Amino acid sequence: MKRALTIAMLVLLAMPLLYAMSQLPPHGSATSPAYTHISPRYLERGPEEAGAENVVTDVILNYRGFDTNGEVTVIFTSLAAVLAVLLAGRKGDERPVREPAAEPSPPSVVVRFVVRLLGPFVTMFAVYVIINGHVSPGGGFQGGTVFGALVILITVVLGRSVAEKLQPLGVRRILQAAAPLTFVAVGVLGLALFGDYLAFPRDEALAWVRTSWLMVIEIGIGVGGAAIISAIFWQMGGDR
Amino acid sequence: MSAFEALTNALAAVLCVVGAFFFFVGTVGILRLPDFYSRTHAATKCDTVGAGSVLLGLAVLEGFTPAALKLIALAALVLVSSPTAGHALARAVYRGGMAPWTRPGHRSGGEPK
Amino acid sequence: MSELFDLVLIALLIACALAVIRTKDLLGAAIIFSTYSLVLCLMWQHRGAPDVAMTEAAVGAGVTTVLFLVAIGRTVRREK
Repeated sequence: MKRALTIAMLVLLAMPLLYAMSQLPPHGSATSPAYTHISPRYLERGPEEAGAENVVTDVILNYRGFDTNGEVTVIFTSLAAVLAVLLAGRKGDERPVREPAAEPSPPSVVVRFVVRLLGPFVTMFAVYVIINGHVSPGGGFQGGTVFGALVILITVVLGRSVAEKLQPLGVRRILQAAAPLTFVAVGVLGLALFGDYLAFPRDEALAWVRTSWLMVIEIGIGVGGAAIISAIFWQMGGDR
Repeated sequence: MSAFEALTNALAAVLCVVGAFFFFVGTVGILRLPDFYSRTHAATKCDTVGAGSVLLGLAVLEGFTPAALKLIALAALVLVSSPTAGHALARAVYRGGMAPWTRPGHRSGGEPK
Repeated sequence: MSELFDLVLIALLIACALAVIRTKDLLGAAIIFSTYSLVLCLMWQHRGAPDVAMTEAAVGAGVTTVLFLVAIGRTVRREK
C-alpha cells in the first residue's frame, strides 16, 4: 500500500517535470535563448568588458562574481565543518594526537631527492596556472589544487614539519580564509569606489584595474584552496 | 613537402611507434609477469619509455614552438617521476616483507622478513 | 573519428563506474575511481571545456584519491 502510494506520488511528480522538459529547446540547439542573448555578449565583449582574455574567467569572476563569491564561502564553510568533525573530542588545536612512534619505512633518498628537485617546478606550474588563467584555461582553483597536492607530497615524503613551514601557524587561519576574504575585500572596494558590491570599473581607461582585481581574486582563491586542501589532509592524519 | 619536413615527420612517426610498442610491451608485462616486482617494472617501462618517446615524437612534429617546449618539459617530468614512483612502490612492498618471485624448484633468494 | 573517441570514452566511463560499485576491495575501488576521474577529464577536454578538465584532473584524480587512501588507511580495507 505504502509502496503503491510512493510510486503514484513519483509518477505524479514526474508528469509535470516531463511536460516542462518537453517545452525546453532541443539539446544543443543554436537558437535556444541561452545561446542567442547572453552567450554572444559574453563571447564578443567579455575580454574588453570584464578584464580577462579568457572568457571563462570573465564569466566566473566578473559577470557571475556574486555566485563565485558564494561558492568560495561554501567551500570554506565545508572546511570548517570537516575540521569541526575531525577535531571533535580532541584537545589542542591542530596538533597531531601522537607523533609517529617508529616509521616502518622512511622514504628513500631517491624519493626525497626527486621531491626536492620537482618541488620548485610544481610551484612554478601552480603559479603559472593561476596567473595564466587570464589568457588560457586555468585559474585560482586549479592552481591552488596543484599547490595543495605539492604540500601533500612534501608531507608524505619529507615530513609534516617541512610542509608546515609553507604555512606559518600565525597566519594559517588567514591563509585558509584567503579566498572569501579577498573576494569580500574586492567586493567592498567596489562598493566604496563604484557604488555596488563587487562592482568593477566600467571606464575604458581603468581596464588595468579590472584586470588586476581579477588577478587578486585568482591569487586569493589559489592560496585559500591550497591551504584548505593541506589542512584537511593534515587533519585526517595523512602524515602518519 | 620539403626534405626537412619529411625527415622530421618520419622521425616523429618512428618515435611515436616506438612509444606505442613500449606501451604494448608494458601492458603485456603487467598482465603476464608473475609477481608484484616484475609487474611494477613493466608498468614503469610503459610510463618512462612509452609516454616519453610519444611526447618527444609529438614535440618533433610540432617544430620549434612553445608547445614543443612544453611537450619536452612533460617528457622530462615523466622521465623523472615515473621511475621514482616505481622505486617507491617496490621499496615499500619489499620493506613490507614480500619475497620476490623465483622459479619453482629453485632456491628462493630470501625469505620474507 | 571524434564520435568514435567519444563512444570509447563513454564506454570506459560506464565500465569504471560499474567496477567501482562492484569492487569489494576499497583500495582498488579508490584507484578505479581515480581512473574514472581521468576518463571524465579527457571527456571534458574533448568537449571543449579545458577549465573543467584541469579541475577534474587535479581534484578528482589527484586530491580526492589521496583523501580516500588516507581514510582507508585509518579504517578497514575490505567492504563487508
